[in-house]
Amino acid sequence: MTSLHLSFYSAFTLSGLGLAFHRTHLISALLCLESMMLSMYVALAMWPIQTHTPSFNMIPILMLAFSACEAGTGLALLVASARTHGSDHLHNFNLLQC
Amino acid sequence: MMNFVLFLSLCFVLGGLAVASNPSPYYGVVGLVLASIAGCGWLVSLGVSFVSLVLVMVYLGGMLVVFVYSVALAADPYPESWGDWRVVVYGVGLGLVVVAGMVVLGLFDYMSEGNTVNSTGLMSVRVDFSGVAMFYSRGAGLFLVAGWGLLLTLFVVLELVRGLSRGAIRAV
Repeated sequence: MTSLHLSFYSAFTLSGLGLAFHRTHLISALLCLESMMLSMYVALAMWPIQTHTPSFNMIPILMLAFSACEAGTGLALLVASARTHGSDHLHNFNLLQC
Repeated sequence: MMNFVLFLSLCFVLGGLAVASNPSPYYGVVGLVLASIAGCGWLVSLGVSFVSLVLVMVYLGGMLVVFVYSVALAADPYPESWGDWRVVVYGVGLGLVVVAGMVVLGLFDYMSEGNTVNSTGLMSVRVDFSGVAMFYSRGAGLFLVAGWGLLLTLFVVLELVRGLSRGAIRAV
């Protein structure tokens, strides 16, 4: 494992752990998701550098396009939550609470 | 030069830690901006400048700007920054979990320099330009699929925020 690989693996793991744990705001979870996407982008961009294959350079850009879709949908959910409940606090999502 | 790349990769990891340690979203976005700038510098140092520019313009200049002004919906009366003990405990705990995982998996035993452009002496500046240019010639079908997905997302977002009892998620 090179030190460069280790840094984006650990960035991905940290963001994933940050997404999994309890937090107050929905947008904090969305920011952790964006951080995961960023580390995946850097990982996918480093792969064709090391294997010297030019055609794999289009994969991180494609991933970025779909990550933009996902960020937009997440923010739309944030806006819908803020309009419905008045804030984006995660304890408002209690429809399935027993 | 390799030390600069290692410093940028460390900044990248610290930016990720700054987002994950649960500060108020106003400060979390700062961590994400730091991580994306460090990631861009890192990719430029490795030789691929085009994908780094795409990252800056689309991710930092497009998506993060939208996130920065969407955090206005997450107003806190007392925003917690990284000086508060709660955020520090989160950050230290997450860092310890990652380090413990690395020690348990034995990752510290096999650290090597890596086979990137700097170590072999090649400057592959034309690798990423030609690769992305293939997106328009050979990968045209994939390009159209991605464009169709983006158009579809526009309608998804419109449907989610329509509101006034005709949308997907509205109580009022």
